[in-house]
Amino acid sequence: MADKLKIGYLGLNDAAPIIMAKELGIYSNFDLDVHLVRQNSWSTLRDRLHMGDIHAAHMLAPMPLASSLGLGCDSTDIFTPLVLSLNGNAITLSTTLLDEIKICNELDEVSLPLDASLLNNVISRRQSQNKDKLRLAHVFPFSCHYYQLLDWLKRGGINHHDIDFHVLPPRDMHFNLNNHIIDGYCVGGPWNAQAVRQGTGVTVATSCDIWGDAAEKVLGIHYDTYSSQPDVFQRLINALLEACDWLDTPAHRFDASVVLASSDYLNAPLDAVCPSLMGICLTQLGATSRDLPNYNIFGNRNNKLNIPNVVDAHTFATYMYSQHYIEALPSEQYLSHIYRSDLISKIALDLD
Amino acid sequence: MQQDGATTKITVLLIDDNQQRVLALQNALDKSRYDIVHSSAPRIGLVKLVDKLQPDLVIIDVESPSRDILSSLSTVSRFNPKPVVMFSDNHDTNTIDSSVRAGVTAYVAGHTDSNKIRPILDAAVASFGQTQALREELNSTKQALEKQDVISKAKLHLMQQQNLTEPDAYAMLRKMAMDSNQTIENLAKSLVVFWKQQSAGGNNG
Repeated sequence: MADKLKIGYLGLNDAAPIIMAKELGIYSNFDLDVHLVRQNSWSTLRDRLHMGDIHAAHMLAPMPLASSLGLGCDSTDIFTPLVLSLNGNAITLSTTLLDEIKICNELDEVSLPLDASLLNNVISRRQSQNKDKLRLAHVFPFSCHYYQLLDWLKRGGINHHDIDFHVLPPRDMHFNLNNHIIDGYCVGGPWNAQAVRQGTGVTVATSCDIWGDAAEKVLGIHYDTYSSQPDVFQRLINALLEACDWLDTPAHRFDASVVLASSDYLNAPLDAVCPSLMGICLTQLGATSRDLPNYNIFGNRNNKLNIPNVVDAHTFATYMYSQHYIEALPSEQYLSHIYRSDLISKIALDLD
Repeated sequence: MQQDGATTKITVLLIDDNQQRVLALQNALDKSRYDIVHSSAPRIGLVKLVDKLQPDLVIIDVESPSRDILSSLSTVSRFNPKPVVMFSDNHDTNTIDSSVRAGVTAYVAGHTDSNKIRPILDAAVASFGQTQALREELNSTKQALEKQDVISKAKLHLMQQQNLTEPDAYAMLRKMAMDSNQTIENLAKSLVVFWKQQSAGGNNG
């Protein structure tokens, strides 16, 4: 009889490997009976993983570290053996803010990716008029989205104290943008393309522009759950790698978009789900799109990009340290116990 | 949070879109020491509302997307955390127990029965107070250890430099502290920093 596993995910484009492995029957081929459970918040997904209610989860790459360090929760032994996706986030600003940027800098057009230094004049103008600070939203206190926003602003010489940051659920981003409650956000697909389609947002930079190819979502597992049946989890990793390989073929991306958009999974418009998966970044309604083949990637043929690495982990730890969540940087040994690079290598050897 | 009998009101922020449950809870807690303020949809206003309201307790549905907004709240205001109680339609006692162990203060399973909800909230408030007290105790122990550590360092330095016995080195620290009108700990801290700078910059002189 197939081994039963429950996997939690959030309704985002980069849940594609977890969802497609189910739809394509890959889990069954590995003798796994996987039940997918969609979650509405990262916090609840994390708590369920901690308590063993779900056996594995689609997690923001910094989350296993935050769980281990006990940031925002009790310290719990979560680790990742597998990077599920790279890139996929983008910064979308309201069209109102883009107009303000053009006026303050006396520009007719702006070039993309947008140089954040153009916000300087907007910030000064708002200060001189005693208006509210710019409000930018991201999805979780320990997320690449937040760190990418900070990096983008820093490169433009913007002091992050001049920005009012907020956490919002991905699905509510465009509502808040449409209603002028926030001025912009950093989120994953399909929620950037959706704001562009609705004519209220302009996608000004993607995570590829800011970080190059970087791990975005990882498979999170509790060490206790893993230790009780490591062979089952090895098969799960194998199955997900196969789904990542399948997604690597451009011709499969449209089929994946149709599945993801359906009410069983994301329940979102296909024309918002599709672009980033096809390597296209919609910028603004009526404007030319950007071709970005790596906008949403799920690793590559030899699966090198699917291997978690300590360099990424160190980057996350550095942000946590600079924001005073931790008093010292964790050792490389500590980080490599959470971001395990050895489990995929072992499988790759098995397959050879 | 004071708990001197039924006279002290406990402000509860209830985040819930389910209007029926809101009414049920308001009825259940009517005329009790719990004072309910209700907020519905996930908006950034939630953070401001919590700041303004300073609730003693937050109740939220475990399935609410707004949980992540609260996550930023608990990490940003780490020094002033709130007990959080969750609604869940899951009746499984094991799940509830393990959730509480995972960091949630308390779970309210299923529907709001006035006889059941009050004791749950009372227990949540009480257990949160205890956890906080333990955390504070741990912090003060840690600070006491750090204080001892810096005084020992300064003492050791004096013993080596001036060839003093331990009681003499301590007496010297105490006298210097009294003369300069500061605590021994503060004096020791400044001395340690001073000696560090001196040894780092020694080659330039």
